[in-house]
Amino acid sequence: MPVFSPELIKIIEGFLNRYETKRSSILPILHAIQDEKDWISDEDVDTLEKSFGLSAVDVREVLTFYTMYRQQPPKPYRFEVCKSISCWLMGANDTIKTLRLEIEKAEKEGRPLPFEIHGVECLGQCGYAPSTLINKDRHNNVTSEKALQLLKEYSAKELPNAAVHCAAALAAKANK
Amino acid sequence: MPVIKNEYQGRKPDEFRILLGLEGHSNARNIQTYIEKGNGYKALEKVLKGGMSPEDVINTVKASGLRGRGGAGFPTGLKWSFVPKGPGEKYLITNFDEGEPGTYKDCYISEVTPHSLVEGKIIASYAIGAQKSYIYIRGEFHNEIRWCAEAIKEAYAAGYLGENIMGSGFTHHMDVYSGAGAYICGEETGLISSLEGKKGQPKLKPPFPAVKGYLGKPTVVNNVESLAVVPWIIHNGPEAYKKFGTEKSPGTKLFNVSGPIARPGCYELPLGYPLMRFINEDCGGLIGGKKLKAIIPGGSSAPALTAKECENLTLDYESIAGAGSMLGSGAIIVIPEDVSMVSVLENLMDFYAHESCGQCTPCREGTGWLYKISKHILKGKGTKTDMDRMYSIANNMRGKTICVLSDAAADPARAIVTKFAHEFEPYLKG
Ligand SMILES: Cc1cc2nc3c(=O)[nH]c(=O)nc-3n(C[C@H](O)[C@H](O)[C@H](O)COP(=O)(O)O)c2cc1C
Ligand code: SF4
Ligand code: FES
Repeated sequence: MPVFSPELIKIIEGFLNRYETKRSSILPILHAIQDEKDWISDEDVDTLEKSFGLSAVDVREVLTFYTMYRQQPPKPYRFEVCKSISCWLMGANDTIKTLRLEIEKAEKEGRPLPFEIHGVECLGQCGYAPSTLINKDRHNNVTSEKALQLLKEYSAKELPNAAVHCAAALAAKANK
Repeated sequence: MPVIKNEYQGRKPDEFRILLGLEGHSNARNIQTYIEKGNGYKALEKVLKGGMSPEDVINTVKASGLRGRGGAGFPTGLKWSFVPKGPGEKYLITNFDEGEPGTYKDCYISEVTPHSLVEGKIIASYAIGAQKSYIYIRGEFHNEIRWCAEAIKEAYAAGYLGENIMGSGFTHHMDVYSGAGAYICGEETGLISSLEGKKGQPKLKPPFPAVKGYLGKPTVVNNVESLAVVPWIIHNGPEAYKKFGTEKSPGTKLFNVSGPIARPGCYELPLGYPLMRFINEDCGGLIGGKKLKAIIPGGSSAPALTAKECENLTLDYESIAGAGSMLGSGAIIVIPEDVSMVSVLENLMDFYAHESCGQCTPCREGTGWLYKISKHILKGKGTKTDMDRMYSIANNMRGKTICVLSDAAADPARAIVTKFAHEFEPYLKG
């Protein structure tokens, strides 16, 4: 499997020429890699240096500073629940607890769900609390009930492309 | 006692709309709607074809009394005037990092009227002589990134962006840039570092960005709301803007209400609007008729006020500052009677400890300690000395660091520890 698809390479090249300096393209490029592969591996960083002339040191500085970049293969869905003050006042902790329990229960019953649960800081939707993100989808007013319903809804969907790509790449590596 | 203007009596907030005029419109984000229903791009036309010089624009904004809506309330026209005149590369960056808990107004602007921001940015760029501007948006704001990018695309297609705009000789390019999750990138120098593709750590000021900013070039960083209101001011004139608000805090401002409130949302109000009338009448009071314990009036960095302290306040910079807090981003968080202020403190300090970038010892250690001690107390393991310790840690965090995140954690902590000391007592071991 090539490190980056032809489409991704095109996107990366676009970003490299879009800003005043090449260095500014690091954040958008890392976003683009994640959009395709779901996470950023050492191999990706090396490729950015070797094939696109971005210093691996600079790339790593960005990769490790910002919380949105994943340096480990994730589960297909990241269910992020805001736990900052306004959402906390509206029961965000209950939502998080309910989700964790449900994931645990499913795991024990041998039907693992494709979710990671994270408590995150303010998502800028404080009036519609608790606010959440499932990957890039915003869901507001997510009470415990609504959270369980969302788990069901997303579990019934086809997996996102990035998750399929991520799983295939890991399987290919394991076979080597 | 603040003076409440007569003209607010018996009028609803939506009679004071400047920025949210397109609210409720089915196709609000579309450029055609903005042009036809919102006097869109008329201000830009007035500037570029009506013979306004960059100085005229700066003077108009100065005369309006507009103050920055990102939190600090710095006069916008004055900030623009600090940029060195004459040729050379200059930049304008919109701060759309909106990460202060309680704040969701900039998202709302991009949802209802993104072209106000784009037009305001073009005008501001003309005023300071910037050939390029960015909207720096939080990475988590996937919809907003799309809406802003779409508005920019439409503005290019309509000839409001690009080379030689409206034949005026003024050329301007605009782009969006997405962050990647870090509250500290909302601080203007942290934001500039991030836009340069580095980690978003704040830098010592001076030099201020207006002199040495993005890539070492003069740069103005403005909040979304500060820029989005500029077209209205230019189109209607500074006197019209000053008819709203108070003498020292002119105009309208967006307020976000959150917590257990009956009608949460983003409201446009004239500054000086009575706080409790807003909470009880416009927002319908607390859910389930609960009693109010405290209000955080300007985002999580603003010290909490007791219900009693709130009674006669008005929503303007001076009134809230007079009560020992700040208007900040205009994010009003209501705390009901049945929530413990000890856990409020723990929640707030968890946030700041997590978001401190770690460069300055008082901030890195102080936020960490405040979080740990408040957690400790909450578990019933704290003592009276811990209260004194928190107070002295908070004092030592103020005014000693590269940016004001440290103060933004210390001030709310001090306020809660002193004003609500009685709530801590049942938790303490002696
Ligand atoms: C820790 C920290 C976070 C900040 N976050 C934001 C933010 O999310 N949005 C914003 O506009 N200003 C934020 N600010 C204020 C900016 O540094 C800056 O003052 C503001 O963008 C200037 O715009 P204005 O003059 O239009 O208000 C933050 C400041 C600090 C210290
Ligand atoms: S005060 Fe805190 S957040 Fe600001 S630069 Fe220093 S360590 Fe970083
Ligand atoms: S506090 Fe949860 S979205 Fe802002």
